[in-house]
Amino acid sequence: MGEFLASTWYTYNTLLYTIFVNGMLALSIYLTLACGQLSLGNAAFMGMGAYTAAILTMKAGAPFGIALIAGGALPALVALIIGIPTLRLSGVYLAMATLGFGEVVRVAFLNMSITGGSLGLNGVPAKTEFWHLLLVMGILIYFFVKLKSSRFGRALEAINEDETAASVMGIRTTLFKVWAFAAGAFIAGVAGGLNAHFTFFVSPREYGFEFAVDILTFAILGGTQTFWGPIVGSTILTLLPELLRFMGPYRLALNGLILLFVVIYLPNGIVSRDTFKKKADRG
Amino acid sequence: MKLPGKALVLVTAIALFATASPAAEIRIGVAEALTGPVAKYGVPIRNGFALAAEEINAKGGIKGNKIELIIEDEQGKKEEAINVFKKFIFKDRTLAIFGPTLSNSAFAADPIANAQKTIVFGTSNTAEGITAIGPYVFRNSIAEADILPKVVGVAKKKLGLKKVAILYGNDDSFTKSGYDVFKRVVEQEKLQVLTTETFAKGDIDFSAQLTKIKNLNPDAIICSALVEEAANIILQARKLGMPERIRFIGGNGFNSAKLMEIAGKAAEGSISGSPWFLDDPSAKNQEFVRTYTAKFSIPPDQFAAQAYDALYIMAEGIKAAKLSGNLEKDRTALRNALAKVKNFKGVGGLFSFNENRDAAQKGRVLIIKKGKFSLYAE
Repeated sequence: MGEFLASTWYTYNTLLYTIFVNGMLALSIYLTLACGQLSLGNAAFMGMGAYTAAILTMKAGAPFGIALIAGGALPALVALIIGIPTLRLSGVYLAMATLGFGEVVRVAFLNMSITGGSLGLNGVPAKTEFWHLLLVMGILIYFFVKLKSSRFGRALEAINEDETAASVMGIRTTLFKVWAFAAGAFIAGVAGGLNAHFTFFVSPREYGFEFAVDILTFAILGGTQTFWGPIVGSTILTLLPELLRFMGPYRLALNGLILLFVVIYLPNGIVSRDTFKKKADRG
Repeated sequence: MKLPGKALVLVTAIALFATASPAAEIRIGVAEALTGPVAKYGVPIRNGFALAAEEINAKGGIKGNKIELIIEDEQGKKEEAINVFKKFIFKDRTLAIFGPTLSNSAFAADPIANAQKTIVFGTSNTAEGITAIGPYVFRNSIAEADILPKVVGVAKKKLGLKKVAILYGNDDSFTKSGYDVFKRVVEQEKLQVLTTETFAKGDIDFSAQLTKIKNLNPDAIICSALVEEAANIILQARKLGMPERIRFIGGNGFNSAKLMEIAGKAAEGSISGSPWFLDDPSAKNQEFVRTYTAKFSIPPDQFAAQAYDALYIMAEGIKAAKLSGNLEKDRTALRNALAKVKNFKGVGGLFSFNENRDAAQKGRVLIIKKGKFSLYAE
């Protein structure tokens, strides 16, 4: 039995790690969605975090914890710089700016020598342990639970419902939006750093537009009314291709079909506010 | 939502039991990209393995033991490659692993196999540093670092090259590492580089770069590109009136039959390097091309040929190794036997591993003549 458990663990631990990392990425985009803003730059923020953390552990021999925090801090700083001008505007401007920004970041990775150009960085040390992921996820869940009833969380919700009304009530909308955006970038950066240290390799092609849309899909599928939605969505989307592996060549088709049905029959995502209410009524 | 969820788990469980049926004695994992944009390389590779396994088993297997290939899709993604490798090593408990398709995925997944002392044999990984991952990493794909110097050397001698222009795709690891090698070789061969131009994957208009190159009037254009871009570049160069005297010398993208398909006559005279080519007249190759085409109703490419040879090379190793039935010991025994494989006669000519478990061959230099690849220099 022990041997069976060990071999199962070794077979699937990368998958489990990926579920946690994708959960963090889904939460990172949830923060901006929670105040009605669409960011398509979270894959790029993840990439910046991955490169920063990997370069620090590989070339500077920095401790893993420091590398991860730096991997979160750099994208957060960049998010502040691009967020302050764009988030003063309302509407789709953040989506447009981050869409362009993601491309800029990808091309920068391709052309800098410290990032290894298109060859990427290989031989990133294996430093991510399961408890790191549990710890970071635990902190995030604690943060999001507290956020709901905090001034910051209520402000985000007010902005999401009606930005003009929120500003009339005296909420500094730009400030809160920028903080939400930067905090999301921080989370994405840390997730990137964690990912790089269990896949041993980072390259520019992983952090492009396609993955930005994947991250958005995690959140939309799971539902964006509560923070549990993105976590559930990313878990399902990461697990599904693996669970369907026995389908052989048809698995991606079935994967798509399942997504289609969820979107048609659960337009608010898998987890919505009603999910919790119904349970409360019953219980 | 509850019922479908349960049903899904049930179906999955049944499927897992179904696939865990008692296996043949020699299990080998094949991790290739069978879906997604990389499938155009992964599918021919899978076909090559399948054909070789069928032939070996039809002849009674290796010392009476049949080969069982366990084929999994890794989609050309590094996380997927890691997942598939782990499944092979810990769950299916395969003796060895073939794949993954891309060098990028290999950098992520190969260290896992190496740490578990399981052979990983790449048939399409050409980037530098793959076999440096560890002593259990092998490949029979010829690295650009080996083949391109020979191509440039031969072209320089035969055409009397003095000054060249370089054109390469800078956003793809394949074409970028090809460029790095070209740059080094051009320096060694003391060729004058008039200009170095770049493009990105998916570009369709190269006239700016080509006009500049045309005005500098080089003896040849050294080009590191994937086949789609390579064909377009050749077509546009000739359309701009670049004389046929200015030859194209290319890396791996130039040795695909697709080049002639797209560029047609414009591709005439282009020079490239390859370990294998479709029109190679050797009897062994002609037999392979015939059976492959009959089975898959499409002619093989270089990737199929390398996979086909790779399984036979693995079989040579298995034949030489003393297998005990203890998987951990057998993996190491096979590793030691495989490293000693020498002068294996495959469809790509004679094959041996060098001391770094890379192909000892330097490949062959090809030229396109009358719409076909023919040998320019052995």
